[in-house]
Formats: sequence, structure tokens, C-alpha cells
Amino acid sequence: MLDSYLPIITLIVVALGFATGSIIFSRLVGQKKPSEVKLAPYECGMPPVGSARERFSVKFYIIAMLFIVFDIEVVFMYPWAVMFKRLGMFGFVEMGVFILILLVGYVYVWKKGALEWE
Amino acid sequence: MSVYHYLTVSAILFALGTYGVLTRRNAIVIFMCIELMLNSVNLTFIALSRHLNSLDGQIFVFFVMTVAAAEAAVGLALMIATFRNRETIDVDQINLLKW
Amino acid sequence: METIFFYLVALVAVVSGFLVVRCQSPVNSALALVNTFFCLAVFYVMLYAPFMAAIQVIVYAGAIMVLILFVIMLLNLGTEARKRYTHGVVWAAIASLLVLVNVVFFIKRGRVTGAEGDITDYLIKTEGHTELIGKALYTEFLLPFEIASILLLVAIVGAVILAKKDV
Repeated sequence: MLDSYLPIITLIVVALGFATGSIIFSRLVGQKKPSEVKLAPYECGMPPVGSARERFSVKFYIIAMLFIVFDIEVVFMYPWAVMFKRLGMFGFVEMGVFILILLVGYVYVWKKGALEWE
Repeated sequence: MSVYHYLTVSAILFALGTYGVLTRRNAIVIFMCIELMLNSVNLTFIALSRHLNSLDGQIFVFFVMTVAAAEAAVGLALMIATFRNRETIDVDQINLLKW
Repeated sequence: METIFFYLVALVAVVSGFLVVRCQSPVNSALALVNTFFCLAVFYVMLYAPFMAAIQVIVYAGAIMVLILFVIMLLNLGTEARKRYTHGVVWAAIASLLVLVNVVFFIKRGRVTGAEGDITDYLIKTEGHTELIGKALYTEFLLPFEIASILLLVAIVGAVILAKKDV
């Protein structure tokens, strides 16, 4: 079974080799003549203002947190979907209960306005 | 590879996680070290479940991952709430039970 | 071949675990942790648990690390150049070394035994790993599965109450 992963390993090795190889090759072969104009951030447009490490809004956080929870829900659904035919009605009902409970949380979040873009 | 090799790797990762939890002052890094410890335990579960030809350990890993996700959501929300009140998440400075 | 590969992946996993603990910037720690998670996913594949490897990447590397990076950016810790970022190094090193020595001692001296199941490599190959997980999860472990949904519900409610400014 492990043999079937050989293409993936080959792909990873080729990707890593190409990336590092091209960086090293350009370092060795390419010319370097830095001038003040070349080192400037952009030839046109504004010079950067302030640091790039600004604080993000919490609104992003709540979306990301909901993503985690529903990601877990979907992960639970993979083995269920594969076994759906063999589990039959029983499996359908248990997954229905599972989704119903999480739906309560979704309705709560919606009613609280956590998904609103204020 | 025998199960003992995997168990040793997982023991090393667990000890590293313990060291990180005890030494770091940043609450987020402490959280990450706890995730590292949870993952080393997951590796133990899966190695043993293969060794004993059973799936119970892997089902357990499933639930550990669920708990880790819930922990990530609530724990990081706690850090945000603390940061809002105290302007820091340095655990040496969060030393009051009531503010 | 497999032995060399194992030691290579184990080395990467342990080194990136060490970097998680040692890096001063939380962003560097987070990226090293992603590396450790990928190495563990490789281990899961080597242990004939491909579905576990997939959800390791989806849940840990995909979702939890994204949330951690979000919070690091949200709290903007990169700019605080902090000299002391650790405390109690000596005692913690002693404690974690004790944990390590203890566990390795028992691993070296002991023998893993237990009730053997009937999930052989042949069965995993013919039935499929995901199918076997699904069969066990939705028949034998039905109650924990439903309780997990309540846990997730509590996590949603708790995180919204804690993180939202005006509930």
C-alpha cells in the first residue's frame, strides 16, 4: 500500500529540488548590480506607510472560528458518506440528529449577528 | 518499523511540549505547545492501534481532534477577551483572579 | 528504505517540535508547528491510516493553524520586541527530561500487549480505511459521536460570547 504513495514523494522531491535549485542557480549565475532606483519599493506609486504588522479586525476571527467548527462537522461526514448505503436509514437519522444540533449553534450565531459585517 | 520507534518519537515530542508549556510566557505559544502534546498522544494512539490490529485508537484520535478544535475556538476567544481587558497575554502578568 | 525514511521524517518532526518551543516570534513557532503536523501525517500514512493523515492535514494544518495565525496577527505580537520570553527554564528542563526518561525507560523495558482486534492490513487494503472507520464510528461509537456535536455547539456559543464585543 505504501508503494502507491511513491508518485507523491517523487512530486515533493521534484518540487523541492526545482525550487531550491533555481534559487541557487540564479544566485550563482545571475548578475547583481544593485542601484538606488532598483532597491526602491516601487518605481511608481506610494512609498509604504507604517508597518505591515497592523492589527486585524475581530470580525475575521469569528468567521475563522466558525470555519473550524463546521470543518470538523464535514470531517465527520466523510466516513458517513462512504458508508451511507450500508448504514441505511439508521445512519441517515443519526447524522440528521448531529446536523440538527449544530444547526442550533448556527441559528444562534446568526441571531446574535456574529456574521454581520458591522 | 516497530511500534517502539513510533512510541519513542511521540515521547520526545511530548517532552518538548511539556518543556514549552512550562517555560514560555506567551499564552499563544503555550497553546501551540499543548497542541504539540495532543498530537504526540495521537501518534501513540495510531501506532498502538496498528500494533494491536484494532481501530479503537483511531476513533479516539477522531474525538481528540474534535476536542482540539473546540479548544482552539474557545481558548483563542479567551485570549482575545483577556487581551481586550489587560492589553497583554503574557502569562506572568495575568496573575489576578479578579480584575 | 522505509527505515531511512522513518528516521528522516522523525528527525524533521523533532527538530520542528524543538523550533516550536524555542522560536522567539510566535509566527515562526506556528510555521514550525505546521511542519510537525505534516510529519505526523506522513507517520499516519506509514501506519496504514491514510484517512487519519488526511484529516490531520485538513483539521490541524488547515483549520486550527489558520485560527492561531489569525489570533497572532489580531493581537499583533510581532512588534513587541521582548527580551525575556521564557521563565523557569531549569526546572522545566528537569521536569520534561524526567517525563522523557520515564517514558523511554518503560518503552525500552516493557512489551506492548493487549486485546488484539481483527483489523488486519489485508482488511484495510480490501475494505478501505475510511469505510472501516465509518463502520466503527457509526455503529459502535454512536453515543460519543452525538456528544461531539454538543461539544461543538458549546464551542460555538462560548467563542461567540467571549470574542464578540457586544453580545
